Amino acid sequence: MTGSADDPLIARIAEALRRPRAVRPGFEARVMAAVRAAPPRLPARAWAWLREPRVLAVSPLAGAAAAAVLAGIVIAGAWSATRLARAGGGAERAAAPTAGTAAVVRFVLAAPRARTVSLAGDFDGWDRSRLPMRREAAGIWTVDVPLAPGRYDYAFVVDGGRFVADPAAPPAVGDDFGRPTSVVTVGGGAARVAGGSL
Amino acid sequence: MRDDEPDGALVRRVLEGDTEAFAGLVARHRDRGLRFAASMLGDAAEAEEALQDAFVRAYRSLRTCRDPDRFGAWLLQILVNRCRTRGAGRRRRARLFVGDDGALERAAAPAGADPEWREEIDRALARLDPPQREAFLLKHVEGLDYEEMTRLTGARVPALKMRVKRACDRLRILLGEVPR
Amino acid sequence: MNVRVARIVLALGALASPTLARSQVERLAGRMDEGTRAAVVAVVDSARAAGVPAEPLVNKALEGASKGADGARIVTAVRALAADIGRALAALGPSATAPELVAGGAALRAGVRPAFLESLRGRYPRESLMVPLAVMADLVARGVPADTAGESVLALMREGVRDAELVAFRQSVERDIALGAPAGGAVAVRLAGTVPAVAGVTPHSTPRKP
Repeated sequence: MTGSADDPLIARIAEALRRPRAVRPGFEARVMAAVRAAPPRLPARAWAWLREPRVLAVSPLAGAAAAAVLAGIVIAGAWSATRLARAGGGAERAAAPTAGTAAVVRFVLAAPRARTVSLAGDFDGWDRSRLPMRREAAGIWTVDVPLAPGRYDYAFVVDGGRFVADPAAPPAVGDDFGRPTSVVTVGGGAARVAGGSL
Repeated sequence: MRDDEPDGALVRRVLEGDTEAFAGLVARHRDRGLRFAASMLGDAAEAEEALQDAFVRAYRSLRTCRDPDRFGAWLLQILVNRCRTRGAGRRRRARLFVGDDGALERAAAPAGADPEWREEIDRALARLDPPQREAFLLKHVEGLDYEEMTRLTGARVPALKMRVKRACDRLRILLGEVPR
Repeated sequence: MNVRVARIVLALGALASPTLARSQVERLAGRMDEGTRAAVVAVVDSARAAGVPAEPLVNKALEGASKGADGARIVTAVRALAADIGRALAALGPSATAPELVAGGAALRAGVRPAFLESLRGRYPRESLMVPLAVMADLVARGVPADTAGESVLALMREGVRDAELVAFRQSVERDIALGAPAGGAVAVRLAGTVPAVAGVTPHSTPRKP
């Protein structure tokens, strides 16, 4: 299209710009002096967490979360189709940047004495019945929710009426209604596991 | 340093405590970094500062370089950001290098180099929007493909293509009638 | 689980689509009394005219309804959120996405100064700032002073640290606080331990007061 090969003028400009630039003597010595003066680096272990995998989960949930991410990729296709079908213009901002970056978030609560637990939040219109959680072994309740990148307030609803914050997630800022609320942020393409114990 | 020692090997030596091995990386990537920064910033001294800054940051963060064999690409990414930061707060100077005295060491003045033509180009570059200038330099001077440019700049491919196209269109207008 | 996930996907599709505000406010029907609904719609309409997205405001009203709050409290909460997001819009500019505005509104509400948002947008005009802003808000929610939260995220960003690492940074700070470290100190320690180049938050990283 605009490849320099197609346009002799652009090619000549690029060729001229590729020629070396002048440099004051001693450049490398100055850089190395600054490098030697730089603070000592920390041992590798201090950096290790910078390379943490994107699935931020404590075993044994990590495997399930990875599976959930795979499910998210499949789901994203169906979601994308839904979005396309519904796209109809208008001034409203889209809540989700792209469906392709949706992640599946696993919400987890340990509540051994609860009879029912559901999830309510910005992603389901705070409907207390739409996202029932499933009881796993030892009173662990879970539900997987596909979420587009964004920041969502939510809470667990125990036994139909008691709102419980997620002990493993940051609390929402402010307290509009006098009930505990947590917040989950889903970055582009990243999956995370929200969860804690009651 | 052996000339044929790959970047990855030098990076590993630095990480193992051989700070002086970093000089090999500086020598190897100096010219490319300088030509990008000088074209981007339009000022020789500022280009050197930006490049020095990029090298020092690279050294300090060397452990985060995920692909040491592609140290050059990583350095360029740091340099692009340094140039953006430096370029944001000030007006780009219209002329560069011209009139510099003997303190300047012509790293190489290859046959066929034409100072006036270069000056015309620098003036024209100065009149591009910085994002267009950046995209043009990465594409046509540094020879990156659009995927690499996306990784490096964070901009999407269609936006980058548009910037390169606009830069080329503008350069054609600004330089097209200069007789060569 | 497939059926349930599919149902959620449909529901989310409805939420996520670029729909008109009308379909957003239709979600309020049957969830609160008519007077409250009308008051919320009025707030949403005027906020929307100022460029504030409707969806988070409607969600806030639904949250209040779900939690059994009375009408006045719901309207107050929606109005406060509209104001927060409006301030975020002013700081982040008209190109900000809805997720950025929601996160920015949360950061401002937490006490982060608008100058930090402006500084972020100025430095990173083309990147999504949703996660950096969310991390600022979350740090403050854990007790980190607002300026310290803003400065630390900016310092990390300057070093090329991005979303996943910012979240990991926040988690490390949270862990330290949970283990008894003072909140501000936990940030300083993690920052110095993470990026030696920014050991300690340097004074020049503080944006000017607006």
